[in-house]
Amino acid sequence: MRHVVMDADASRSQLAAALVRVAGGDRAALRLVYHDTSAKLFGVCLRILRDRSEAEDVLQDVYLTVWRKTGTFDAGRASPITWLVAIARNRSIDRLRAGAGSRRTDPIDTAAEVPDATPAAVELLEQAQQHARLATCLGELEERHAAAIRSAFMDGLTYEELAGRMNVPLGTMQSWVRRGLLKLRACLER
Amino acid sequence: MIEADDHIAPEDEQKLVAAEYVLGVLDPTERRIAARQIERVPTLAREVEDWEQRLGSLADGVVPVQPPPELWGRIENNIAARVPPPPTAKPGLWQSLEFWRSFAITSAAMAAASIFTLAYIGFAPTASRTPMLATLGQTSGQPGFVAAVSSDGRSLTIVPAALLTSDQQSMELWLIPAGDRPHSLGLIARGQPVRLTLPPELAGRLTTDTTLAVSLEPPGGSPTGQPTGPVIADGKLTRL
Repeated sequence: MRHVVMDADASRSQLAAALVRVAGGDRAALRLVYHDTSAKLFGVCLRILRDRSEAEDVLQDVYLTVWRKTGTFDAGRASPITWLVAIARNRSIDRLRAGAGSRRTDPIDTAAEVPDATPAAVELLEQAQQHARLATCLGELEERHAAAIRSAFMDGLTYEELAGRMNVPLGTMQSWVRRGLLKLRACLER
Repeated sequence: MIEADDHIAPEDEQKLVAAEYVLGVLDPTERRIAARQIERVPTLAREVEDWEQRLGSLADGVVPVQPPPELWGRIENNIAARVPPPPTAKPGLWQSLEFWRSFAITSAAMAAASIFTLAYIGFAPTASRTPMLATLGQTSGQPGFVAAVSSDGRSLTIVPAALLTSDQQSMELWLIPAGDRPHSLGLIARGQPVRLTLPPELAGRLTTDTTLAVSLEPPGGSPTGQPTGPVIADGKLTRL
C-alpha cells in the first residue's frame, strides 16, 4: 500500500512539474498533461454540459487556457488535478450559463448520486486523503444540505435548479447550501 | 421552512460569494458580477482558490470519459496557429549561460529572504498524514523545482521544473526546519526526478514552515556541510 501511495506522490509531483514546464512553453509537457488528465476533465465537462460536442469544445478550450495561463499554477497551494478540474468546471458552467434558457427539463438519473466505484486511476488515488476528509465533513452536514452541495458541484446546477429538483423554495435552498458551505469550511479547517 | 439559526455573519458573506462562485450555484447575472469582483479583489481570488481546493475532490465521483482521439490534434493546431515562434526552436532563457550567471548576483538577496522567512517562522503545527509539497521558486519568480514528501515522511522526491544548466557546479538540496540550520539532502541531477532519503533525525517530522533550498556547490557538493554557493531556488513546504 505504501508503495502505491508513494507512486501517487510521484505522479502528483510529475503532473505539477509538467504544468510548470507548460508555463515555459513546452508543448510536449502539455501533451503529457493532456494524456494524463483529459479523460477526467472530459468526464467533468460532459457531466455538466450533457452534450458531447459542447463538452468537446469546452475541453479544447480548457487545454488552451492551461497552455496560456499555467503561470498561475502554484504547486505549493494547489493540487494539480484539482486546479485543472476547477478550470474545466468553470468553463463548462460559463458555457452553460451563457447558453442558458431551457436546459434540463429531463429528470436527472439517480445513478448520478451514487459515488463512482470505478477502480481508482492514479489521479484519483492521489487525492484519496483529501477526499476522505471532505467525505467525513460532508457526512457531518444535514443530509439534504450535503446532497445539494454535491449535485451543484457535479452537475453545475444553479440555486434555482437545485430548488426545483429538491422541491423546496429558492430561499430555503440558498440557506441550505450557504450554511452547509460554512460548516464544511469549519470542519475542514479543524 | 427556513431554520431559526439561519443568520450568517457579514464577514462570512463575501467569502460565501467565492464559495458560491466555485460551486456554480449563482444565476448568470450574479455569476458575472461575482467574476468581475474576483478579478478585481485579490483576497477574493484567493478565497476562490481555497474553495477550489476544498471542494475539488468531489470531482473524484465523476466518471472519466475518453475524449475523441482527434481532439488532441485540434488543440495542437490551435496552439500552432496562435504561437508564432515554437518554444523549442531556440534555447530558452534557462539554457542561456549568461542568464544563469546573473543568479550569483541576485541569489544573495534571495538567501537573505530565506533567512527572513525563517525569522518569521513561529509555532510549527503537528504533522498529519496529508501529503506535503513545495514549489521552489527562482529569483525570476518562475518555479525551478517541485518537491513532494513521501506520505511516510521518510523521503522526498524532487523534480526539476525548468531546464537548468550551470557551469561545472553541482546543485545541492537543503532542508531547513524552522529555526534550525540547513541539512543537506544530497545532490540533484539535472533534468530528472530524484528521490532523496531524509536524515533519520528529520524523517517523519517535517512540518509546513520547513524551507527547501537549492544551492550551487563545487562538484561533489559543499565541502563544509553547509551551503557555500548561491541559493538558486527556494520554497516552503505546504500541505495539500
